[in-house]
Amino acid sequence: MVTSASAAPGTPVSPLRAVLDSFASGCGTVPEISLRTGLPRDVVDAAVEQLVRVGRVTARELQLGCPTGGCGSCALSVEGEPGCGATAPSAPGVLGRRPALVTLTLRSAPPAQ
Amino acid sequence: MSPRPVPSCHAAAAHVAVAQSTPVVALVGSPNVGKSTLFNALTGAQQGVGNWPGTTVEVGQGVWRTGVDQHPELVLVDLPGAYSLDPISPDEELTHRLLVDAPVDERPDAVVVVASAAQLSRGLYLLAQVREQPGRHLLALTMTDVARRRGDEVDVDALSQALGVPVVELDPRARSGGQALAVALDRLLADPPAPARRLGTVSGPDDDLLAAEERFTWVASAVTAAVRPSADPKVPWSDRIDRAVTAPVLGPLLFLGVMWLVFQLTTTVAAPLQSALDRLVSGPVSSLATGLLDLVGLGGTWVQGLVVGGLVAGVGMVLTFLPLMAIMFALLALLEDSGYLARAAVVTDRLMRTIGLPGRAFLPLVVGFGCNVPAISATRVLPDARHRLLTALLVPFTSCSARLTVYVLVATTFFGGRAGTVVFAMYLLSIVMVVAVGRLLRSTLLRTMGDEPLVLDLPPYQVPTPRIVTMVTWVRLRGFLRTASGIIVAAVVAVWVLSATPTPGSGGGFGSVPVQHSVYASVARTIAPTLRPAGFGEWQTASALVVGFVAKEAVISSWAQTYATAEPSSARQPGSLGTHLRAGFDASSDGHPRAAVLAFLVFLLAYTPCVATLAAQRREIGLRWTAFGVGLQLVVAWTCAVVVFQLGRLLW
Repeated sequence: MVTSASAAPGTPVSPLRAVLDSFASGCGTVPEISLRTGLPRDVVDAAVEQLVRVGRVTARELQLGCPTGGCGSCALSVEGEPGCGATAPSAPGVLGRRPALVTLTLRSAPPAQ
Repeated sequence: MSPRPVPSCHAAAAHVAVAQSTPVVALVGSPNVGKSTLFNALTGAQQGVGNWPGTTVEVGQGVWRTGVDQHPELVLVDLPGAYSLDPISPDEELTHRLLVDAPVDERPDAVVVVASAAQLSRGLYLLAQVREQPGRHLLALTMTDVARRRGDEVDVDALSQALGVPVVELDPRARSGGQALAVALDRLLADPPAPARRLGTVSGPDDDLLAAEERFTWVASAVTAAVRPSADPKVPWSDRIDRAVTAPVLGPLLFLGVMWLVFQLTTTVAAPLQSALDRLVSGPVSSLATGLLDLVGLGGTWVQGLVVGGLVAGVGMVLTFLPLMAIMFALLALLEDSGYLARAAVVTDRLMRTIGLPGRAFLPLVVGFGCNVPAISATRVLPDARHRLLTALLVPFTSCSARLTVYVLVATTFFGGRAGTVVFAMYLLSIVMVVAVGRLLRSTLLRTMGDEPLVLDLPPYQVPTPRIVTMVTWVRLRGFLRTASGIIVAAVVAVWVLSATPTPGSGGGFGSVPVQHSVYASVARTIAPTLRPAGFGEWQTASALVVGFVAKEAVISSWAQTYATAEPSSARQPGSLGTHLRAGFDASSDGHPRAAVLAFLVFLLAYTPCVATLAAQRREIGLRWTAFGVGLQLVVAWTCAVVVFQLGRLLW
């Protein structure tokens, strides 16, 4: 059964709402959301992706290290622009392309169209 | 503005050699569900791939000779992979335009949504959106064998009934199920298009969210009706590893163990290489430089002092750290490429939350362990101005890689085989300082701060790729070399000029004055007494710390230069810097060199990292807070160093 932190016990909760609630209730990772809500991992992945599409969640790729010169691609991106001129690590054609850590943060309201 | 032309599948069909009346069937689905494999299997050689007119999106088109009576030929259009009809890429945009924007009579005659049974909900979400348009729709279910191995059994008939569309199970890799698909399509094309599935009432500012919720609920009810989940679901091995490496207690312990191993390996493997390079620079390279200067008649002049005692000694000393940096960068790249560092970020994030700092503050702080400059800029990811301010004030306490070179030199000189542990301890102390100073600031100056939920999507584990690890290591090493070389040459020249300039009344001339009578030594001597309580009040060390304000890479070159020029007789052979350092710390600490060295390392960790960081801070938090930060760093550095020395001298 899908569970949600904010819903009353026994109340059916849509998977999307359960995932959204998990953000606010302190889940740290996507696998943790899957564990806490009881939703299969692919449902959580699909829900997160749709939340990003409708502007409820912001996804940002991270690279953990960077060169001493400060010219690496890291969490510098502001308003979608790469802050230091480098592209996200998993972008096509990027040197050393690889799966990247992604941070997902709740947005309080959908972006203006 | 003129309306955007809407493409038509039927226009595309004109490019393949079939009758105009041949039905057009579009294949849609997310990437990696076997859609293109199915397309290739069905069309064989009767296909072509090219950019869709007016776009750069590649679309495959082909003729499928089904052999079925009513529709012996079909035009298949393999649309690009799409997870959703809410487009966020050009590929998805094209799919949206063909299936939603195009006039109904120009849309495909039938749409086959290809979905993997192993990720059924994801595929069905796309079907839910496709069903919101009128038309003939069919679900092609692939990878049922993968789902079965996981213990999930899909009842195709029940799924078809729940979704209201025909469902065909097939395996494109084994080329099975094609005939069943042809028959199902033949029946479907004989029927009139189905009306669109109507969403419940969704209106208002949250309509996108409510619509998505409704679709997920629809998908969930279909999955519940049709999928019999395993009684004993198999937990993937990556999830099992994650549970251990991100566990609240075990996770941090594992992280610390891994980082200790990284520093131990770095210092142990790099030590012999460093010694060899040191011998090369102090021996043949210095001799060669001296010989060349002798040849051109500059031997014994101030030029020789600048080149051999300054540039060769200073730059050479830093270059000996290349093996060290290369090994550490390679090890970190290995951890990063394997996916482990992402898990370490979860551990760090949790630490941030438990100590009351904003969870997102871990992002720039983690970046700070590479370099403080981009880390300061990375505080822009924090939406709250007070979060940005606090994090920007804490970043200088993260131990950047420039400080590592000094740690290693000093630790190997004074602690031998335990150098790796000492360096590791500095990184631990760095974390402790971030936490302690963060808590101090939050309980005093920055009391009102909220927190914001943050979830990490972990990348999958993978075997590190040698090519990628090599490239990443090289890129970072090149960055280190670029920064270090420019700063060091400038610092070496500045230090040499100051050390060659005599103080008024000292009697010597420019370039010939003993360094202890130079302007450089004079300035350093005025600062040195403040460092005596910490056990490193020698003017050479005080001057190196002043130069370290410019950049930490220059600390070692400054030492090398000062000690080399302090002993003119050894100018040809600068010798081991370690010997000079041991003697210097021994003298300044009244026989407690180890306590003084530890105090020095603590001071080096905590005081202002470099001018570039200050510039970045000024840009992000303004001059006043930057000045406050410098004062805070100096107070913390001096206090901690004095405490360490005064306690340490009781032990050693």
